[in-house]
Amino acid sequence: MQVYLDNSATTRPCDAAVEAMVHSMREDYYNPSALYAPAMRAEQALKQSAQAIAAALDTDPRHVLFTSGGTESDNLAILGYMQLSRDGGEILYSAAEHAAVRMACQEAAARYGCTAREIPLTGDGLVDLEALEGMLSEQTRMICVMQVCNETGVIMPIAEICELRKRLAPKAVIHVDGVQGFLREPFSMRRLPVDSYAISAHKFHGPKGVGALVWREGFRFKPQMVGGGQQNDRRSGTENTVGIAGMGAAVSAYPGEAREQMRRLKKLLVDTLHEALPQMAVVGLPAEDQRSAGHILSVAFPPVRAETLLHALEMDGICVGTGSACSSKKGKHSLVLTAMKLSNAIMEGAIRISLCPENTEEEILYTAQRIIHHVEMLKRFVRR
Amino acid sequence: MREILQVRFGEIFLKGSNRPYFMRMLVERVRNAVKEVGGHVWLSDSRVYVSDMSDMDEAIRRVTKVFGVHSVCRALEMPKEDFEGICKAAVALVKDHHGSFKVNARRSDKRYPMDSPTINMEVGHAVLEARPDLTVDVHNPDLVLSIEIRDLAYLYTRPIMAVGGMPVGTNGRATLLLSGGIDSPVAGWMIAKRGVSMSAVHFNSPPYTSERAKEKVLDLARILSESLCGIRVHVVPFTDIQMQIHEKCHPDYTTIIMRRYMMRLANAIAHKERAQALVTGESIGQVASQTMQALTCTDEIADIPVFRPLIGLDKYEIIDVANKIGTYETSILPYEDCCTVFTPRHPATKPKMEIILEGESKLDTDALIQAALEGTQVYEL
Repeated sequence: MQVYLDNSATTRPCDAAVEAMVHSMREDYYNPSALYAPAMRAEQALKQSAQAIAAALDTDPRHVLFTSGGTESDNLAILGYMQLSRDGGEILYSAAEHAAVRMACQEAAARYGCTAREIPLTGDGLVDLEALEGMLSEQTRMICVMQVCNETGVIMPIAEICELRKRLAPKAVIHVDGVQGFLREPFSMRRLPVDSYAISAHKFHGPKGVGALVWREGFRFKPQMVGGGQQNDRRSGTENTVGIAGMGAAVSAYPGEAREQMRRLKKLLVDTLHEALPQMAVVGLPAEDQRSAGHILSVAFPPVRAETLLHALEMDGICVGTGSACSSKKGKHSLVLTAMKLSNAIMEGAIRISLCPENTEEEILYTAQRIIHHVEMLKRFVRR
Repeated sequence: MREILQVRFGEIFLKGSNRPYFMRMLVERVRNAVKEVGGHVWLSDSRVYVSDMSDMDEAIRRVTKVFGVHSVCRALEMPKEDFEGICKAAVALVKDHHGSFKVNARRSDKRYPMDSPTINMEVGHAVLEARPDLTVDVHNPDLVLSIEIRDLAYLYTRPIMAVGGMPVGTNGRATLLLSGGIDSPVAGWMIAKRGVSMSAVHFNSPPYTSERAKEKVLDLARILSESLCGIRVHVVPFTDIQMQIHEKCHPDYTTIIMRRYMMRLANAIAHKERAQALVTGESIGQVASQTMQALTCTDEIADIPVFRPLIGLDKYEIIDVANKIGTYETSILPYEDCCTVFTPRHPATKPKMEIILEGESKLDTDALIQAALEGTQVYEL
């Protein structure tokens, strides 16, 4: 049986996305900026995609900018905003952030003379709100927090962060990296006053190489690409019509009931594993905690190393990810797990199992059974 | 007139009556190297020439990697009767040169109307007429303009150094123990340089090592393959043996016993390959399994000689060669080549044979070796 459980790395494009892309390539291949009538169809596809994304985020489709993916969206929001802000100040980012955010913040500090500071995490992997409270000030220009942590599946307390911002740093904007959260966990930009939100299509069954930056009215950023002035001068370059059509179709096709189903399967996996392997350690929050996303589970089975278990599962046709980037003998651990102050044994043992709406109970039970088998065997062969 | 490649050989000059055999092999290897750029290769007057290739630079890159080639020269080939043409070509060759020069003519055709000193003078004169800014320095010139009068005339300036050594296949066969590290590809390359054909054995330990780790080793073999004229890689499943050793043997002795099993398997594969020696990348004292005592313990397993060309080299010297032969960048990719799980914290650096034998007596060596050989995958690269 082939089981794909690394959906936080990427997902298989859904049929609707593939069909939309084929249609875009074969029929609507026109340059959306061209003046003749057929080009309108290409432009229309862009509008539909923007509408689908805006509807999912409860916001205005005019505030959707198409990009090449999550990294570009994060860079554009952070560097583009800080370039205009230009009066120093501080940019804060959580210790759980993806490198695309963390490094963009550090780059902004180097380029525009602001100070980049890291917001610590609690042992559960949440943003430490007490620490954040102490860091926020009139000097804060931007706060960057992800919606869902790609390594632990923890849902960050964005509402509380918005409250803190309102009270302590009203001038600051909030950028949310929604790459791991979009569609899989609800997010309303009408309800939560965040200023910008980044998505990446290939994380929700769309194609690779396309994403979007969604912003709130009033959020201004300097374009990082200039040229033909597409997308209202915000990002020059002919739009990736094929990718954008695929992304729009993937948003529309994403099943509404997926969240509950994935949450149930994650719980089933955790319970099955826990019963057989009591030494199992869940990284982050317990599966039943509502602040833990339903599609990501990070677990360790010390003393078994993550990489070994990953390759053992690979031989059974099961693909999972590692919670840490510890792929070499150099002993480099994940920055996120380090910030959570986890033990070396947990950091070296954390595998990440990430689900998608297509996963079935049968797949989950098969995976659990294979994990149990391998952990029982591998734990006998550890370094003495 | 046309531009050709003149190929010079090194040590083959030292050969006596069997020199034609070595020359034939060299021509064959050069021919194989330039096959893809369509070069025509021939032997004339103890020189190898390559002409009519679609890409001269690529041909040079390939030929300079052929073992047995000492250096190559881009040469202009023209009729020797047209002396005026030779002078013009000489002027063209020094077009971008500044400083001093010297003409160095050699005449294997002794019937040629001018002798070598006369050719030197006449061509030198023609060059100076065209380029009065140049000077002649016969003792220490910045540039030597060589002219060879054979069936045709050949003019060339700077030789491009090649790898040297002997043509692959002229000195028997050996089997290399190839890991994914820096040392073993260098060791294989050094022995192959002496004319030895090479096959390789790699030990694979899934799930402790990954598909990528195996692919990295095959990539290293592919890099070596160009110089080695092809290499057959045997990928041996090694996990079961490692697990058995780990469970049954003294913890400090797992590495040395593992090395002995690797030797057993490599020895068996070498026999299949009709190889006359094993090659390893070991260097004295580099790690615990490479102390003199440990090497003695692994040596006694093999019934053919074990060559260790890196034995006296420091790591940085090995890295220099790895960079030169193009394997370093691949070798340092981070995938595990042998799992750290099985590396003891305190490996025995002065292993005692009785403890090794006592440990091995608990293992069903014949069955383990046979199973590993049966599971071996072979890649022709």
